[in-house]
Amino acid sequence: MARNYPRLESGAELTRLMIDHYTQALAPRTRPVAWITSGAPVELLRAMDVLPVYPENYAAVCAAQGAVPLCEAAEALGYSRDLCSYARISIGASATPQIAPLAGLGRPDLLVACNNICGTVVKWFQALAQQFGVPLFVLDTPFLPDDAIPPHALAYVAGQLEDLVRWVERTTGRRLDRARLDETLSLSNAAVALWREIRHLCRVRPSPLSTPDLFVTMAAIVSLRGTPEAVAFYRLLRDEAAQRVRQGVSAIDGERFRLLWDNIAIWPRIYHFFSQFARRGACFVADTYTGAWDVEIEPGEPIESLARAYLGIFLNRSLAYRATRMARLIRDFACDGFVMHSNRSCKPFSLGQPAVRRRVAAATGTPGLMIEADMCDTRAYAEEPIASRVQAFLESLEERAP
Amino acid sequence: MSACLGIDIGSRAVKVVVLDGEGHILARRLAPAGYDGPAVAARLVEEACAQAGVVRSEILFSMATGYGRGRCSVADAESSEITCHARGARFLVPDARTVIDVGGQDSKVIRIDDAGRVLDFVMNDRCAAGTGRFLEVMAEALGLAVDELATLHAQAQSPAPVSSTCTVFAESEVISHLAQGVPRADIVAGLHAAIAGRVLALAERVGLEPVLTCTGGVALSGGFVAALSAAARMPVVVSADAQFAGALGAALLALTRLTERR
Repeated sequence: MARNYPRLESGAELTRLMIDHYTQALAPRTRPVAWITSGAPVELLRAMDVLPVYPENYAAVCAAQGAVPLCEAAEALGYSRDLCSYARISIGASATPQIAPLAGLGRPDLLVACNNICGTVVKWFQALAQQFGVPLFVLDTPFLPDDAIPPHALAYVAGQLEDLVRWVERTTGRRLDRARLDETLSLSNAAVALWREIRHLCRVRPSPLSTPDLFVTMAAIVSLRGTPEAVAFYRLLRDEAAQRVRQGVSAIDGERFRLLWDNIAIWPRIYHFFSQFARRGACFVADTYTGAWDVEIEPGEPIESLARAYLGIFLNRSLAYRATRMARLIRDFACDGFVMHSNRSCKPFSLGQPAVRRRVAAATGTPGLMIEADMCDTRAYAEEPIASRVQAFLESLEERAP
Repeated sequence: MSACLGIDIGSRAVKVVVLDGEGHILARRLAPAGYDGPAVAARLVEEACAQAGVVRSEILFSMATGYGRGRCSVADAESSEITCHARGARFLVPDARTVIDVGGQDSKVIRIDDAGRVLDFVMNDRCAAGTGRFLEVMAEALGLAVDELATLHAQAQSPAPVSSTCTVFAESEVISHLAQGVPRADIVAGLHAAIAGRVLALAERVGLEPVLTCTGGVALSGGFVAALSAAARMPVVVSADAQFAGALGAALLALTRLTERR
């Protein structure tokens, strides 16, 4: 299949960084390894010299290589096929590392799960805790029904962050170094600011990057946030994107339509799926997923700022908030329509999408397509029905175009 | 004479429509798709041309749609079923604003504007629940031909509930109803109500705006249309050519392409 995407020069550096990251995760221990969820307050762990590793990122890496056997390994243990595929891949890879990429993710010394992204992570990490016989800390972030963060929610989460610090200190024997925390926070914010700048460059027409580019390059903002390496990588990527803007290089050939993506990527089909759009000149310029890591930790008392940042993420918000955010992205990035991935795995992201779709379409006057798939499990990806929907949606955009 | 061709290679049936240069229907043909839809299409094209009295060189543009659209060697271009059904339905029922198409393996709801352009659409999820294939399986379980379903539906006294719309589970429900001596007419009415409910839930996602029309093979089942109309609380206008809506829409798009080219 023709690849309509020019290759990113900085991609090689990212590959090097991620190989290095997983090598450290699997190497003999020089420091404790914590497996954590994507919405966990990683800065505290880094400041205590604990190495954070993300089973979700690992699952996405597995999925890109084909992870149905790992899903089936978890299903053979009795886990339901309706369970999140990240969870199944992680559990499957832990149980049968011999069939997993990198021969599995090794083993954790401790586990930290934050339920700001979903409720599944709690049970999934409990299963891992049992399997490896290691301690688990669950950080509970109450759902935010309104735009404002209520003081009691903030106090509740801040209290747990204090508990988390004491728990890690007790479990690992390492102390939280306040100066190191400040340094980690500023590195984290620097990477976040660059990530935001990169995403905002896609407001340019034609867009220098597209959503699949961001899906690939987000690995560092998830897994390496709070390190100098992440900052250096995003400088490189920012410079490359800015250069594309100056030279008029576009993410896809002949950008004609600009689209917004909602939900997690379809990792095993990422370029294959988006090529269906690129071939007809439709470029995804914004999304609701990679922006989940565009969260700045405000200056001030670090624990409270961390509590605010990790409470307020997109998935911990109401449907009304999400619809407003999507409508704003559509306006700011001059999108002609939006595509929602009804992701069988990710219930918090996918439930309520029909209601959000209606609201966003009404607020922006742009059409929205819903396709059903899964972020990792290709058994939930029906090629022909998806191709039909995509084609019909693009035809309707073409009919609308002046 | 110049003419255009629309070819709809569906999952269960192939439909072909020939239009003249003014958009009048000259011929229409239909046959089961079998295992080789494109081959059936090629045969139907010959038959339709003969019926229309046109020779192949007079066909100036051919448009394919349906599942087999990418493998149709006689077509000059292809278009999605959604776009084609919207166009075809608008042609058959000019006031239509909502189109419910229930085909062999999928069902779709399309909202259209006064020119038959797609405003919004939604399709059923991965499984074949509430589609033509579903009704075929149920008819078989009941020992009926698909054409007989409407007659039996009209005789129903109290529709038997069929709670599952999964084809396999619904078939077991039908068998268990039969085992309990429930009259077949009541089971048929229950099945139609189950499909209508499912399609309507889909329709509500895009908004149900009158005039409502139904296309696809299942539209010809009077029982289903009655159940749909009752559930939607609005009349459902069905053209006798409802099953040809996709092919007709393809032919109309072919005509548009031809006009643009000139």
